[in-house]
Amino acid sequence: MRKSKLITLLVLLLLVMAVSMAQAQDRVRVRWYVGLGAGTDAPLVAAQEEIVADFNASQDNIELVLEIVDNEQAYDVLSTQIAAGNAPDIVGPMGIRGRASFPGAWLDLSALIEAGSYDLSDFDPALVDFYKVEGAGQLGIPFAVFPSFLMYNVDLFDEAGIPYPPSAYGEPYVDWDGAEHEWNIDTLTEIAKILSVDIHGNDATMEEYDTENIVQFGYGSQFTDVRGRATLFGSGNFADAEGNAVIPEAWRKAEHWYHNAMWNDYFYPNGVYSGSEIMGGGSANWFDTGNMGMVTIHLWYLGWGTANLDAAWDFGPVPSHNGITTAKLHADTFSIMKGSENPQEAFEVLTYLLGERAADLTSLYGGMPARLSLQDDFIERTVAVQSEAYPGVDWANLNWDVVLAGLQHPDNPNHEEGMPSFLEASARYGEYGQLVDNNADEDVDAALDALRNDLQAIFDAAG
Amino acid sequence: MMKNKNYNEYELSKRRRDLLLQAAVTLFALVILAVYLMPMAYGVITSLKTKTQTSDPGAPILPAEAITFEYEGDSYDVLQVPTESGIHNWALVKKGRRASEFVNPANPEAGLIAWEGNWRRLEPVREFAVQWDNYPRAWQTIDFARLLANTLMYAFVTMIGTVAASSCAAYGFARFNFPFKNLLFMIMIGTIVLPPAVTLVPTYAFFVNVLGWGGTWLPLIVPAMFGNAYNIFLLRQYFLTIPREMEEAAQIDGAGRVRTFVSVILPQAVPALTAVSLFHFFFAWNDFFGPLIYLAGNRSANPITVGLTEFNGLYSSETQLILAAAVISMIPPLLIFFLAQRVFIQGIVVTGVDK
Amino acid sequence: MFTEFGAARGRTKWSLRTAFRLQGAQRDEAKWGLLFLSPWLIGFSLFYFTPMIVSFVFSLYDFTLSAPEEARFVGLENWVRMLAQDPKTWETLYVTFKFALISLPIGMVSAFLLAVLLNSKHLMGRNVMRTLFYAPTMVPLIAAILIWSRVLNPHTGWLNQLIEITGIQATGINGLRWLDDPNLIYLAYTFIGLWGIGNAILINLASLQGVPTEMYEAASIDGAGWLRQLWSITVPMVTPVIFYNLVLSVVGLLQYFIVPWVLNLGSGYPEGSTNFYMIYFYKQAFTFQNMGYGATLAWFMFIIGLAITIFLFWSGRFWVYYAGENR
Repeated sequence: MRKSKLITLLVLLLLVMAVSMAQAQDRVRVRWYVGLGAGTDAPLVAAQEEIVADFNASQDNIELVLEIVDNEQAYDVLSTQIAAGNAPDIVGPMGIRGRASFPGAWLDLSALIEAGSYDLSDFDPALVDFYKVEGAGQLGIPFAVFPSFLMYNVDLFDEAGIPYPPSAYGEPYVDWDGAEHEWNIDTLTEIAKILSVDIHGNDATMEEYDTENIVQFGYGSQFTDVRGRATLFGSGNFADAEGNAVIPEAWRKAEHWYHNAMWNDYFYPNGVYSGSEIMGGGSANWFDTGNMGMVTIHLWYLGWGTANLDAAWDFGPVPSHNGITTAKLHADTFSIMKGSENPQEAFEVLTYLLGERAADLTSLYGGMPARLSLQDDFIERTVAVQSEAYPGVDWANLNWDVVLAGLQHPDNPNHEEGMPSFLEASARYGEYGQLVDNNADEDVDAALDALRNDLQAIFDAAG
Repeated sequence: MMKNKNYNEYELSKRRRDLLLQAAVTLFALVILAVYLMPMAYGVITSLKTKTQTSDPGAPILPAEAITFEYEGDSYDVLQVPTESGIHNWALVKKGRRASEFVNPANPEAGLIAWEGNWRRLEPVREFAVQWDNYPRAWQTIDFARLLANTLMYAFVTMIGTVAASSCAAYGFARFNFPFKNLLFMIMIGTIVLPPAVTLVPTYAFFVNVLGWGGTWLPLIVPAMFGNAYNIFLLRQYFLTIPREMEEAAQIDGAGRVRTFVSVILPQAVPALTAVSLFHFFFAWNDFFGPLIYLAGNRSANPITVGLTEFNGLYSSETQLILAAAVISMIPPLLIFFLAQRVFIQGIVVTGVDK
Repeated sequence: MFTEFGAARGRTKWSLRTAFRLQGAQRDEAKWGLLFLSPWLIGFSLFYFTPMIVSFVFSLYDFTLSAPEEARFVGLENWVRMLAQDPKTWETLYVTFKFALISLPIGMVSAFLLAVLLNSKHLMGRNVMRTLFYAPTMVPLIAAILIWSRVLNPHTGWLNQLIEITGIQATGINGLRWLDDPNLIYLAYTFIGLWGIGNAILINLASLQGVPTEMYEAASIDGAGWLRQLWSITVPMVTPVIFYNLVLSVVGLLQYFIVPWVLNLGSGYPEGSTNFYMIYFYKQAFTFQNMGYGATLAWFMFIIGLAITIFLFWSGRFWVYYAGENR
């Protein structure tokens, strides 16, 4: 009796499994690869899985599979998958850097957009063109933009007894004596010095400032590379229109300023301090330590970035240089890979992610939606989401206007713009950054000239 | 039987010498150990701190937190403030570069007390504050139980398979003569010498595209069942140190090849087999890139190593949690090591060289 | 050349002609040998053989990872570039060998001496000690990176603070900058490497168990001191395992990669001193996605590694003692 029951049960189980497997087989598998941008953090993973589950429940043609790979390995894993002929269908969110790292691997979406008469009118046409690449076509559909801004630690300003940065672009900085200063690099330098303090309480304007025992820094261009930080002085790229290697004049100036800030005035964490525990020990999340006065950073930083910061903070305008303000911009997209076997289905998923779920996904990644219709209540939604996740911050009363105003000063060309032999060129200028950030005696001009020569050689080899 | 006095003295002095030797050797080992484990001590201690504690410039080595005092709804650090009337433990309410305002926790009604000087030169009043909470937090954030189960499964299954297969192959190399043995052995060593990264793409293509094993453990488990070059090489080295006399005796007694292998060779190789088993177990435990690449898309199958990187995601920096998770992940293998190494006790193993 | 492998009796010289003409006992032995070897033989032909060949074929192609369909046959172009045109090949090989020469003896000797120490009957709490010495080997990579980058930090790192206690000025910009100073970096890497010698200790330890105790007793009676016993009994008896450790250490050092990759970001900084050969390979093959050229570099490393290994096996004839070998 019992034996037969058991057998019946087993057979039933097998049957159920077979049926469910057959059902799963019926669906077209679409793989969504996350890792080249946001989306790999533990809390985000669950939220994305939910969206995948929702999508799979909403229809029965497509089985969406989520693949999440940590950013550090994501590039290698993706290139292995592509090379082995096992490319995922959808990749995103990713910035320009992610896209530029896999030249020739992205599908031109124009045909799919036309065939499905996909409505692009809800996007700023300039942003749509942003993803149009000469000779490659429409490689993405706008998803989110991440303006940058200044973030400053209110408590540290109070402690130093100096007024806060201006609250809007174009406004001057009113100092402790009531004098007005243009909100530019020079003004930033002055207050950054006051905000840099050693263990005895001396600041960087003082003779006694002990540069071996600094416990607080004034300013940092956080989570960015050489191109990103140099953009503070103006837009540019290491490759000019003809494909020659150049060091833009503004960038040369910027690099001198940074090196001086690190190794002479000591108001900017150099490589050695950046790796010390005072600045977060290699995590490079300087602002979160509470030992950093001001940083320039993007919208994606909000919330998780200051999770451990026990201090009041607010937004301010990015300072200008020679009268021009450049607030570098990040723009994220989702793309379909050329190797996708089911581009039609992948596009269907793409429109779901960038349409119905755009609002959820942008607030998840902390971006401003590229869809104009979603931009109006973007601040309210962000405040609501962040207030729930991080109740310690008074999100509603932050200076959101200055965040939005930053969008009026984007960098063009973008600081993540492509270059010939992008990956080699990126590695080379990364080496430059490592060199000058870790060596007080480094001759910045000589290092930049060497960089240009090497870049020229790399560009030439690319033909 | 009576022992004479001299003999007793000799015994005593020998025992004393032994004890002294023991103390010296142990002390020596402890000193080396202290230096050797310093970085790990750093890791463990940091895993017990809050993030703020790690980036606090004046903080002591051990996890400690400044004592705080609640004043008008906010909490403030208590510092040792030198005044004309001696040193007071006051809470720092309003920080300033040249002058700050404090409140006396014993008498908050008195209001703020102005103090001239730089607060950064004052010592905070600290108390020992261990953040045990990091451990349950780490555990829950990445669903440790599931990761642990996956890792244990992978490590155990492949350990058994690879040790069984490797010892067979090693015996083949150590004791038999057959055509092209040297060539085959060199080819096997060659699989170690060729950097694995270069065969990654074709191997990946084979497992995922040809066999359809993407998102499963099969590409990692199945090849292990056929032994691996590292273990075969090591066991072959060990088998070659075992004298042949006992095998010959067994064969004279009529034991076949398999029985000789199982009942003569394997028992003598227990230390080496244990070492190889541990070796492989720990390799599997720490295997990162294999699971990462083959399990992509099947997050529920991930092992600990891959789960740990979720903490380390693009913008996150909860290093104290990463370290806490790392410590948790080390406990099972170290426990296994502790128990398994009982095998390595000098003198217990019979080597069978009595002649 | 390979006589060392031909450990078994008879030392038959095999050739294709003789291989299929085996008689009686020889045939039986060959059959059993191959039978015992079969798990590995099957596994190798299923999972290793084809990928190895394919990876060699890569070296004859201009093959970009992200554009496999554009791969182009270029013959020996990659090999010519590597051997004749690319100065990085030799620079990185030089760096690799330089570090290996520093790190190899320190690692080998430390592993052996620590195993002897951990095997000493005079050591109290042996089980705990062994576990503790093994513990660093188990630290997950991601945590090890975190720990080392912080412990070696010039300002706040424990290592410099510890040294500072002895009175040497170690902390700060002008102190000991382990990862920035080309003179210190190999020392730092060697120390990090020592952290991972748990496996080598373990293997040595297992091998020490195989030394018959009566040999020590006999030597004791002959009045041999501890050092003499170590040198003339222990060392010879464990040479097979020392040999194993040597081969694996050499191969491991030739493929030295992960530490400079994560601690110095694989950039060669400072002054190119961390431009290891495998770093260069990995950059070409994965970071720059030039798998064709990367495969060429890897196969060149394979040839070098194999040559060294063969040399080591040949040298083993003179110093490795196998008790189970017929003499």
